[in-house]
Amino acid sequence: MSALMEKLVPDTQAPDDGGFGLARRKALKVLMQHGFPQRKTEHWKYTPLALLEKRALQGPIAQQGERPPAPPALPFATGLVHLHNGVLDPDRSDLPSGVTLVAMLPEDIHFSELDDSGPAHAFAWLNIARFAEAWRIGVEPGLECRLAVVMSFDDGFSGVVHPRLKLELGEAATVTLVESQQGRGEGLCNRVFDIELATRSRLTHGIERASAGAAMIDRTVIDVGRDADYRAYVLDGGGPLTRQDLIVNLGHANAHGSICGVAILHDRSLVDYHTAIEHRVGPSTSAEDFRILADDQAVGVFNGRIHILPGADDSHSTMNTGNLLLSENARINTKPELEIHAEDVTASHGATIGQLDDLARFYLRSRGLDDNQAISLLKYGFAAAVFDELPEGDLRDWMIEQLRKRL
Amino acid sequence: MLKINNLHVAVGGTEIIKGLDLEVGSGELHAIMGPNGSGKSTLGYALVGRDGYAVTEGSVEFEGRDLLELEIEQRAAAGVFLALQYPVEIPGVNNAYFLRAALNAQRKARGEDEVDSIDFLKSVREQLKILKMDESLLKRAVNEGFSGGEKKRNEIVQLAVLEPKLAILDETDSGLDIDALKLVAEGVNRLRDSQRSFIVITHYQRLLDYLKPDRIHVLSDGRIVESGDASLAERLEREGYAFLDATEA
Repeated sequence: MSALMEKLVPDTQAPDDGGFGLARRKALKVLMQHGFPQRKTEHWKYTPLALLEKRALQGPIAQQGERPPAPPALPFATGLVHLHNGVLDPDRSDLPSGVTLVAMLPEDIHFSELDDSGPAHAFAWLNIARFAEAWRIGVEPGLECRLAVVMSFDDGFSGVVHPRLKLELGEAATVTLVESQQGRGEGLCNRVFDIELATRSRLTHGIERASAGAAMIDRTVIDVGRDADYRAYVLDGGGPLTRQDLIVNLGHANAHGSICGVAILHDRSLVDYHTAIEHRVGPSTSAEDFRILADDQAVGVFNGRIHILPGADDSHSTMNTGNLLLSENARINTKPELEIHAEDVTASHGATIGQLDDLARFYLRSRGLDDNQAISLLKYGFAAAVFDELPEGDLRDWMIEQLRKRL
Repeated sequence: MLKINNLHVAVGGTEIIKGLDLEVGSGELHAIMGPNGSGKSTLGYALVGRDGYAVTEGSVEFEGRDLLELEIEQRAAAGVFLALQYPVEIPGVNNAYFLRAALNAQRKARGEDEVDSIDFLKSVREQLKILKMDESLLKRAVNEGFSGGEKKRNEIVQLAVLEPKLAILDETDSGLDIDALKLVAEGVNRLRDSQRSFIVITHYQRLLDYLKPDRIHVLSDGRIVESGDASLAERLEREGYAFLDATEA
């Protein structure tokens, strides 16, 4: 058994709780068989899992009985789901009429698409094997609302938690979902978030995250229904170990999915983004624009895959990844992937890695800005472009404000 | 206002400006003409302090201060402005934000209060109107997607808002159609007063017909080889720069 296995799966017994036993046993079996990814595991080679081996992880956190501190406030009214140290804070979770929060049932746990032939999905299996709480948020058909999922941690957080969430949008529901994750402590948060968009529903998904300590491993899978529309806007500050898998499944006609994101990395922070947009049915459309700005000794990884499957004719997709290296010791690994097996499709991709433009820097200084202001403005201009498509309003203002704070 | 004495400037180790002398008084407009590669743009860049344009000898005095001792942004705050021959695109930064940030940075450096938002917008809109530019430009990224003419006019908008004491226009007329040229010239003429000076680098007399320069200088091989009044531009238009060879011979 590897050191990581001993640390994360010290007990190989699967609790048969509430009918989840079957899924948990399956998950443990896969974990025992294939273990966790190694450096040679293609999609995990840049994720420094060795960090987890070095940490004195304490296992699941027991509720202390004390009321968790208030989550960071958002500047606009929204229904709230607050998870503190990976556990639901029911006192501060408050949802509007038409939105429900209930414990997941075994049939809510889907694992048929997880790879059980190798270690690539080990953390998703680990989540199934070890989640303590799993919550399903339901939005009734036709409802328009704004929701927030806020994850906060104590400075002393040293546990391993596996929160599991599911969001279901009813037919023609229109939701703006804001996620704010502020990692602290020395623990590991291994989350899985499933999102389902029913026919004609729309989800605008803002994700803002930074971790001062906790390792964050997250897998978010979005299933987009017929004529439904999913748009993610990501602002990630990374952390000692931040791994994000973001998978958008376009499995119905006229589904649209887009991911626009920017990672602003300083010091030794790391972000490893793996996105996949799966065109399973045509016509469908997707767009992706992801940017990384890496300073100091930070490491940014972007692996963006657009997959147009057989039969997904009349699918159209664009992908762009732009990256700025701001110091000699920063590193960025970027890899756009297109895989097309259908007819009558358009798909394009572009990838750039560069540095700040000296001429632009001079131009700004020649108008009176000092060098720091010029650099900051150029970084802002580069990064903020990913939010161009975000409709004007308080979510956009908030994302831009968070961006400015990080530059 | 500006006294340049025996200026030598090297770019990448190659001397481009080779002993240039020039004096520009308050309120004067001087035109600099000269063949390609004579050092006109290099002079502009050297005066605003662009990296890589090394002053190896000589002095530049601006309003009694040693200009060469100042950083790029300090020169801007002191009142020196260069309208670039090829204005730079700044994706993602809208014009209004950029202009206001630049103006406030200069004012702060001079110990002045920040400009009021409403006054600022009023002033910019007025300048846009004069230059017949759409107000939507304020929300667009700096120079991104602008036509060549729009970029040049945008430089004049910046000039009008920042109100420098010395404006250097580097071939601002190049690539402009006749109407745009007139607009730019009118924009410049509106800004002329007894306290503001201009150095206009150009290849063509037509801009000078509108601007009526006080002096015209011909730059060749890094030196001013001829100076005169408006008739010098007319002669260049007629004869080209061939007479320089005769003069040097």
